[in-house]
Amino acid sequence: MMESLAISLVNAVPVLSGVPLWTITLLVMVMVAAVVLTFALTYSGLATYVERKVAGDIQARVGPNRVGPVGILQFLADGIKLLLKEDIIPAKADRFLFVLAPYLVFIGSFAAFVVVPFGVGLIASDLNIGIYYLMAITSLVVVGVMLAGWSSNNKWALLGGMRAAAQIVSYEIPVGMALLPAVLIAGSLSLQDIVRSQGGLFGIFGWNLFHNPFTFLSFFLYYVAALAETNRTPFDIPEAESELVSGYHVEYSGIRFAFFFLAEYGDMFVVSALATACFLGGWHVPFLDAEALPALWGNLLSLGVFLGKTLSLVVLMMWIRWTLPRLRVDQLMRMAWKYLVPLTFVNLLGVSLWLLLFHGEGIPRMIASLFG
Amino acid sequence: MGLKDYLYDIWEAVATTAKGMRITARYGVDPRETITLQYPEERWEPSERFRGFLYNDIKTCTSCTMCVRVCPVDCISLESVRGADKKMVLASYDIDIGRCMYCGLCVEVCPPKSLKHTSGYEKASVDRGELILHFIHEDAGEIKARVAKQVAEAAAKAEAEKAEDGEPDSRAAQKDAPPSAQPAAPADAAGNPEDGGAAEKKPGEEKE
Repeated sequence: MMESLAISLVNAVPVLSGVPLWTITLLVMVMVAAVVLTFALTYSGLATYVERKVAGDIQARVGPNRVGPVGILQFLADGIKLLLKEDIIPAKADRFLFVLAPYLVFIGSFAAFVVVPFGVGLIASDLNIGIYYLMAITSLVVVGVMLAGWSSNNKWALLGGMRAAAQIVSYEIPVGMALLPAVLIAGSLSLQDIVRSQGGLFGIFGWNLFHNPFTFLSFFLYYVAALAETNRTPFDIPEAESELVSGYHVEYSGIRFAFFFLAEYGDMFVVSALATACFLGGWHVPFLDAEALPALWGNLLSLGVFLGKTLSLVVLMMWIRWTLPRLRVDQLMRMAWKYLVPLTFVNLLGVSLWLLLFHGEGIPRMIASLFG
Repeated sequence: MGLKDYLYDIWEAVATTAKGMRITARYGVDPRETITLQYPEERWEPSERFRGFLYNDIKTCTSCTMCVRVCPVDCISLESVRGADKKMVLASYDIDIGRCMYCGLCVEVCPPKSLKHTSGYEKASVDRGELILHFIHEDAGEIKARVAKQVAEAAAKAEAEKAEDGEPDSRAAQKDAPPSAQPAAPADAAGNPEDGGAAEKKPGEEKE
């Protein structure tokens, strides 16, 4: 996609024809990365604001309302505060790992944006192993979290890091298992292919969510497991303010802490985007065929629809966070191994059987064919 | 754990989560549920019996020192001298509001009811000295000196009258003496509301 963009750029601006193509491709790549990074940072900032507002509403408070109209600029003030804060590295910490850890966490969550299908043609790189890549790159977060916990040389941080490792590794299994039905239906690991497989039927009933009862269940299983994978309440035992102060990032301050913070919100977005792409029809616009529209309108509309679906799931995460209390460590592990793993296995079997028996047809499509 | 319990666990998890989320959604959506008061802009009306900062109306205060004696944390300090009219004149009346625990004993015990709780509760300062409320702004030493001078003048006058009137009338003369001394007396007698001269000057009594 980058090369085609570069070629069209060269065609549009004749002056560039003397420059080797790879430089222009590289330039385009950097530009796309900058755009996605800007989006990720703006989103993370606004998400912190929305999170605080949602928390305020749910707890019968007002929430931030001092900076800017209804407090909307609060995240800028917070960001500037974090940037200006002193950067403290504990004396007995392992300096190299301590400095490295936030970058790993941030890279793990930001690199996942590469395969997020924002719209018809809006994807940084449509890898043919998109889901696989996403699962792999988000695992980098665990390494960063463990490094942070270990290198801080602090018992709370270490406990938080160990808990995070146990939790994220455990929940990766149900996450993967719950995503497989979508892969089975599309017959591809590429996220664009998965989204395309959910087209038609008014752009709503083609969703994998409504494909069959097993995929319906699969979405919820995925969402619960993904919630745990992002270390959000009620599965936030790695951070657990009331037990571990703040877990693996207890010794971090200033900009390094901000990296962890942004990574958490970035993770929320990626996880929700994956749920949208795999189960909620991705960028398919209801009642319209986004791919048949002119390129500009198709992209804009599909981008809007995709963001709408994804951000609703993010808000749902916040809603859950401010509703449920935290699970105990053993309860969390029990939930992963005794409930989610068996259920996702059964679910996967169910979907496979369904596809075998009904030749890949979903319930809405069957009903549609009944009526011609 | 049987299959029935297993499935029941799952059902319970889903049902209780849904229940909780319904409650939080109601709070989240309903604007009337927001009970926060935007403090500096709006305030609660303190209740009628709210025990705020203490205020002493020094015009009615009789310097009886009951409040000083009853205070469990010794936050009230009072100095007074006997005036020319035999009544006590307040030289200083300070309350260390940083120490006060707002028990209200001093207000209960005050015979002329001059000490009262106000509704004030906002006082932040960078220095603990600023937390001492001074109800008399004049220097205590000056007041004492002035009262002593008046007492001396009154005594001298009485002495002079006694000398004029002779022995038999001395008792009556002494009784007359203080009122006749009054016009000459400046503001210092302000602590005594019965005195006509008290209105001449009101010592600082602004509460903060």
